[in-house]
Amino acid sequence: MQADRPPFEDLYREYLGRIYAYIRAQVGAAADAEDVTAQVFMNAYQAYARFEPRNTTPAAWLFRIARNATLDHFRAHGRRERLRRTIEHQPMAEEDPAGQAEDRIRYRALLGQVAQLPERQRDAIALRHSGLSFDEVGTLMGCSEDAAKMLYHRALKALKDAVQREGV
Amino acid sequence: MSEQDEDLELQALRRELDDAFATTRPRVGFDDELWLRMQAKRPFSTRVRDAFGGLFQGIREVPAVPMAAVAGVLVVVLGVGIFAYSGIGRGGGSTATMGANAPGNDARGNTNLAAGAFGPVPAPGISATPKGVEQAPPLASQASGEYAGPATFVWSGKFDLAMSTAPVYRYQEPSTNAADQFATALGAALQGRPQGLLGSYSATTYTLKVRGTVESPPLSPAYFILANVSMPEIDAAGAGPQDLAAIFLAQHSLLPQWTYTVSVDSRGNPVKVIFERQFDVPGYAGAHLVDSNGIRYGLEVDLNEHRPVFVQGLLPVSLESATYRIISADRAIRLATAPSTNETGGSVPTVQLKQAELVYVLATAGDHSFYEPAFLFSGTLQVNSVTMTRHVLIPAVDPSQRTP
Repeated sequence: MQADRPPFEDLYREYLGRIYAYIRAQVGAAADAEDVTAQVFMNAYQAYARFEPRNTTPAAWLFRIARNATLDHFRAHGRRERLRRTIEHQPMAEEDPAGQAEDRIRYRALLGQVAQLPERQRDAIALRHSGLSFDEVGTLMGCSEDAAKMLYHRALKALKDAVQREGV
Repeated sequence: MSEQDEDLELQALRRELDDAFATTRPRVGFDDELWLRMQAKRPFSTRVRDAFGGLFQGIREVPAVPMAAVAGVLVVVLGVGIFAYSGIGRGGGSTATMGANAPGNDARGNTNLAAGAFGPVPAPGISATPKGVEQAPPLASQASGEYAGPATFVWSGKFDLAMSTAPVYRYQEPSTNAADQFATALGAALQGRPQGLLGSYSATTYTLKVRGTVESPPLSPAYFILANVSMPEIDAAGAGPQDLAAIFLAQHSLLPQWTYTVSVDSRGNPVKVIFERQFDVPGYAGAHLVDSNGIRYGLEVDLNEHRPVFVQGLLPVSLESATYRIISADRAIRLATAPSTNETGGSVPTVQLKQAELVYVLATAGDHSFYEPAFLFSGTLQVNSVTMTRHVLIPAVDPSQRTP
């Protein structure tokens, strides 16, 4: 029964931005984030017939695909390459006329710091701030809700230290 | 640092992260580009199967700026040599109301003819692309039969054009009101105004989307009809695709009011019936409207047997015309065959250009955009024993009448 399954375009329009932000926080560079985001929605599009809304929320389903695609991306490119590109694509240096606003620059720098956290910390922060509950974060990361909370708080502290160190 | 201070800092950081994630979004247009790529990868048969599986409405939605993304791909895929010396736009138009003729007529024959009534024609919508530098993705190029790689050009045809002026057409950018009126006339109700669209509308048997001019790549104002599962088949036993398309258009009062030729592409499913728009040019048979790839367009009806599944057409706009001086055919040929400054000097194939015609292309310019005459040269070449086509577009309006 698929009556309660929303049109895919609805999901696409609703989640594209959030998925992109989640991936951007992981991979650092806008071009990489676009590539991975495209792969996520290509995969989701093909798999949508198998999506069962009674078993999971669209958000959890899409973020699972996004997480897998991001891991695939890192496997394909290697962490060193990721870091190199992250450094090369420092948010402050990006050409974006709209990005001159102070807040936006700071936010991008902040996501750049998130991208340099260890993988699980980075993931916990990105999933949590993409709007998922700790329960959903834990499910996606293969741990309990409490463990997800702990991981998130540890990650937050690590990020705070990094931000203070780097002066974001 | 006290524990309380640290808590406050973490709280502030959480809020900042919330804001960072909430405001980090892909660049403008990425969503539509990606959506189109997804649609393009989807076989039609799959769409139909999903339609009956209850997914039809959502999955077949057209992207908010579908033509923009399509052209963005096609410009790269097909590639048309466009000279840098004056550049060129791409063309399209819709229901035409031929407006006042221009005072420019008075100056016909004067080599120092002032610009036509619209003043200097605006800069072309696409940046001039020296011929021979486009690189086409191999599969797309092979599928289309279009060659987009570097080439040198030799003219071996015959092209006489006994005219020194031609009309330039201008239209005002359609508003949301115009889109609403168009939709209302079709019986479709406004659903919203997604980014990049003048409006998205729904009717009993289809979804309608209306889009204004797109500057880059330049695309004409257009409407898109996406049939839903309740779209009935056209009851016309024995009718061919062209008749079926015409019946559907007539039923919805969408038959073109402009002159056209018809082509039918029945190589795949859906079958595509294309009403290729022509512009009236005194002293010349109708000049086709072409895009930056030299491909004719106007109004397309896609048919799955007797059932219309998709329509895309030029949004009706009111056209004014003014006469502008154009370059001679000889000069156009010289430009078409001139060596490109971007060619590297390596071994490139030679294209025998054998055909030429006067066409119209779109040049966007903000509130008003223009359909301008151009010369379209076509030839073939052999690539890996496969015969492929190459086009070269040369803007026809005299450079002295163009915006510097």
